[in-house]
Amino acid sequence: MEPNEIEEDEFGFSRNYFLSKELGNSGKKSGRKLADIDIVEEQELREAMANMEQKHEKEIDELIKSYKSLYQEWVCELRCGFGLLMYGFGSKRTLLEDFATTALTEHSVVVINGYLQSINLKQVVITLAELLWDQVKTQQKTTSRSLVKDQQPFNTRSVDDLIAFLDGKNQDDSESFVCVLVHNIDGPGLRDSDTQQYLARIAACSNIRMVASIDHVNALLLWDKKMVHTQFNWYWHHVPTFAPYKVEAMFLPLILAQGGNSQNVKTATIVLQSLTPNAQSIFKALAEHQLAHPDEEGMPVNNLYTICRERFLVSSQITLNSHLTEFKDHELVKTRRDSDGQDCLYIPIPNEALEKIIKDISQ
Amino acid sequence: MATINPVVMDENSLQPFFVLHKGKQPPRKTFGKSKRRIDLSPKVPQKSNHGTEENLDCHEMCLQNFHFIWSKFEVIIKDFLRNINADVFEKIDCWICESFDAISSCKVSDPTQVTSSYPLLLPAIHHASSNQLFTGLVCTKNVEFVDDILTFKDLAQHLKSCGYHVGNLSSLDFSEKNGISGCLRNLLRQFLTVSIDAADISILASWYYEQDSYKNPIIVIIDGVERCCESVLSDFIMLLSEWAVKIPIIMIMGVTTTVDALRDILPSRTLQYLLPSQFVLESPTERMDTVLASVLIKHGTCFCLGHEVANFLRNYFLRQDGTLTSFIRALKMACVQHFILDPSGPANSGFQDKKYPHDLSYGAIALLQGRIIKQAFGLPSNLRNNQVEPDGDIGHDLSEMQKQCNLWSSLVMCIYEAGKYHKATLLDLYCEVLDPELYKSRTSGDQVELEIGSLTSNSHCLLGLHPCLDKCGSICQSIHGLRDLPAMELCQLLIKWGKLTEGISEVHEKIKELQSLVRSEDSVHLTKQPIDMSKRRTTRGNLNVEKDTTKLNEKAARLAACMVRKYVLPIECIPLHEVICFKNVDKLQSVLMGDPRTRIQIDLLESQKFLKCGCCRKSGSVSWPSLHDTSIMYCLAQEHGDLINLHDWFQSFKATIYQSSVRTKNRLKQSPSPKKRKSSGEPQKISEACIQARFCRAISELQITGLLRMPSKRRPDFVQRVAFGV
Repeated sequence: MEPNEIEEDEFGFSRNYFLSKELGNSGKKSGRKLADIDIVEEQELREAMANMEQKHEKEIDELIKSYKSLYQEWVCELRCGFGLLMYGFGSKRTLLEDFATTALTEHSVVVINGYLQSINLKQVVITLAELLWDQVKTQQKTTSRSLVKDQQPFNTRSVDDLIAFLDGKNQDDSESFVCVLVHNIDGPGLRDSDTQQYLARIAACSNIRMVASIDHVNALLLWDKKMVHTQFNWYWHHVPTFAPYKVEAMFLPLILAQGGNSQNVKTATIVLQSLTPNAQSIFKALAEHQLAHPDEEGMPVNNLYTICRERFLVSSQITLNSHLTEFKDHELVKTRRDSDGQDCLYIPIPNEALEKIIKDISQ
Repeated sequence: MATINPVVMDENSLQPFFVLHKGKQPPRKTFGKSKRRIDLSPKVPQKSNHGTEENLDCHEMCLQNFHFIWSKFEVIIKDFLRNINADVFEKIDCWICESFDAISSCKVSDPTQVTSSYPLLLPAIHHASSNQLFTGLVCTKNVEFVDDILTFKDLAQHLKSCGYHVGNLSSLDFSEKNGISGCLRNLLRQFLTVSIDAADISILASWYYEQDSYKNPIIVIIDGVERCCESVLSDFIMLLSEWAVKIPIIMIMGVTTTVDALRDILPSRTLQYLLPSQFVLESPTERMDTVLASVLIKHGTCFCLGHEVANFLRNYFLRQDGTLTSFIRALKMACVQHFILDPSGPANSGFQDKKYPHDLSYGAIALLQGRIIKQAFGLPSNLRNNQVEPDGDIGHDLSEMQKQCNLWSSLVMCIYEAGKYHKATLLDLYCEVLDPELYKSRTSGDQVELEIGSLTSNSHCLLGLHPCLDKCGSICQSIHGLRDLPAMELCQLLIKWGKLTEGISEVHEKIKELQSLVRSEDSVHLTKQPIDMSKRRTTRGNLNVEKDTTKLNEKAARLAACMVRKYVLPIECIPLHEVICFKNVDKLQSVLMGDPRTRIQIDLLESQKFLKCGCCRKSGSVSWPSLHDTSIMYCLAQEHGDLINLHDWFQSFKATIYQSSVRTKNRLKQSPSPKKRKSSGEPQKISEACIQARFCRAISELQITGLLRMPSKRRPDFVQRVAFGV
């Protein structure tokens, strides 16, 4: 890129930024609320989502199929020692798993679902080591050499040892490798820097090749130059699929259900049901007060304590406080000051929803 | 609160990881024995079985060629990089010997004391200096530590070969999380070759006495001290210094900036335990030139870069990445592209429709490997018809091309040698000699000669300013610089030129002539010198000598100019250059560094181009309702500022979707063609729930791509745009 182009790009970027800022500020900012939309029941929303017809299904299939002609190229790149990094809009799960099942049949393949919340990488490394060990064994059998004995079980070994094993010169054939397929290497479960360092160490092993996908526009920021150039050794491929992110979006809250009452009712009920009957009764006492006095800021703690004591729900202020802490942790109860400057407790749920909750937990 | 959408998932998609399949058979070994390695599914479109097999065989051959060439390059690069550091490594070696002697003089002689706890009873004179650590500070002159990983590995290997016990620690080991015990454990693992849970330095001490007993020192190399956690590093040094009396430990630390950097990192009480010595490595630019010279110029007959590719890599190195590692990686990618994946290669295309027969490059490589092309590849008979003379012999043509490349690389090196006196970098020179446009302008109007003729030796300042000269900077500077070269250096340069052009009849003779002229002049000098040595600068005779030297310089410059004009033609102007020259700059750029930020946005803004559907069109900012939902949403988002009101966004999304039913109705009235009706589908009443679900899905997808920041508590009704402009 010529310097002028770079400058132009930078200028373009800042210009766009300030223009959009201006657009946001100059025009009257829309004050309309999400709640103004007549949001359907969450259940209905989720059903609609499940039954949603996919647009351009045929074209998307065609697009994904069109990448099949590149499989051979990708295998070559892996065999030349590179890692493959796939990016572009759309879920790449189907594409990558199809690639692995059709073009990497000779190699063992382990898939990591990076879109999940927590992934135990040590377990992955143990599995990789076992797979590699299997390969070594088969190879040694075919070359009729004696097997290495006294093999310490992999699950008792340290990570450094396992990585050293994966990086060792186990194989006669330098092209024999185990493939790690990472969906969403930039996903929530893998996003922290320690995990990325760990993944980079795995990718750098001589007997491992990595194929990964990214979806986030800033995924590059996860890696430093050492990781990119010497460990992951990425060979980039732009493969937009436009396939829906069904599984990847599974754990994301729906924007229209998130603020909706139904969601709150559901989650609050689940939380309350998991609490002791006494705790539930305390919540009920507070709820009843709130429903009876809709105009008040809330219920002073002392009043609640008196009521609870009267009903033999708590025996001391400490017990009540521990229950309140629990409620606050789950955002079932909040505090605010009333006009007299007194701290009041209130439930941040609309009254109709609250009625439903009370009904639900009383059943 | 995480919620799970009621989508039917296969079991594996919810496993953190799973084994997709085990390798079915042990991968076959070596390539090139016409064995198929790549097992593609039958779903892959294949013309015929026979064709596919041939294709795969070719692919194997290509892979073999690639591995052959690249392994050669890799060895060359490694050797050159090692050689460039050889002097420094030697110096370090000597310094270690001296330091070890010094340490040995105050060693603990009683092995029972070694593992015993403190205090040791040492003679008072020893005590003061005995807990100081000899520390070699290796200045890398390079902020990019990634380039020096290999250097420190090489250094470790070099020192190991000298018999020392060497342990490598990286800055990652010195993290707060790892702590000092992590560093120690790592060291113990390297020396004892088993992992030990207890991080105790006494284990190292007893191991050392069992193994060595003061014959060789222990060397601890830490690359990039600037990136270490200061407190851990400081503790580590303190610990080693406590044990310095018992174990002869010598430290080597890599510093990227200056040796003073340590002062900023470590507290003074730690610094007093170090006895520093300084060593300086070559700068990245020098190393880059070495790699370039060794791979692309001296071995330019195997593989070389087109002008655009070279320019791209130069800019990538100078302006963007700045690491030699990435440059070498890019070279490897270019090699992979050229030898295996080039669309004109046999792996990917048929034998027809190509300007140049596809397997020429393999032919050329085969030639390099000492094979006979026709036997190895059975070149198709139409090979000659395309671009070689009808009755010519392809082998002959190829060897002609190789000859020309040889001449080219020798002469480029000659000019580089001349340019070295003026700090010209080979990278610039390389890009310049590859530029066909510059070559045309050079040859069209005898520009070089004109420029050289017009420049006086005092016009240095012009070089950087004159646009025309700046344009052909390095070559002109190098040639012009010859005029100012002192006689001694000119003489040395001519000797180098002589060596570089050995076996190249075209220029070697002329260089020899010049050399003999220099020699005869030298002898004249020598006879004159004793006579009027004292009045050297004032005598008339000496003025003549100077005049003669200038004449010689002039001649050398003219020779260089002539060489450039006649023989240093860009590779892309040499017939059959495709065989060895990689030119696909766009492909290289795309595989070297993806640009997710731009490309994902373009995917969304122009989804119809990728999906190639007949139903979506987009004119200006108006979104077509049949577009991918997320695409519609992102296009609509472009109309908002940095904050998007969710309500408004939803309404405009809804309007766009409903627009479809209205438009389709209208269109159906106008054109009752059954085809169109089919493509756009029957207008259906889209339920509110469906629209809301689609809206939610699109927002989730945009959230996954990171193009949106979700509503915060402070602004529950707004999302924030992250990217502005593609």
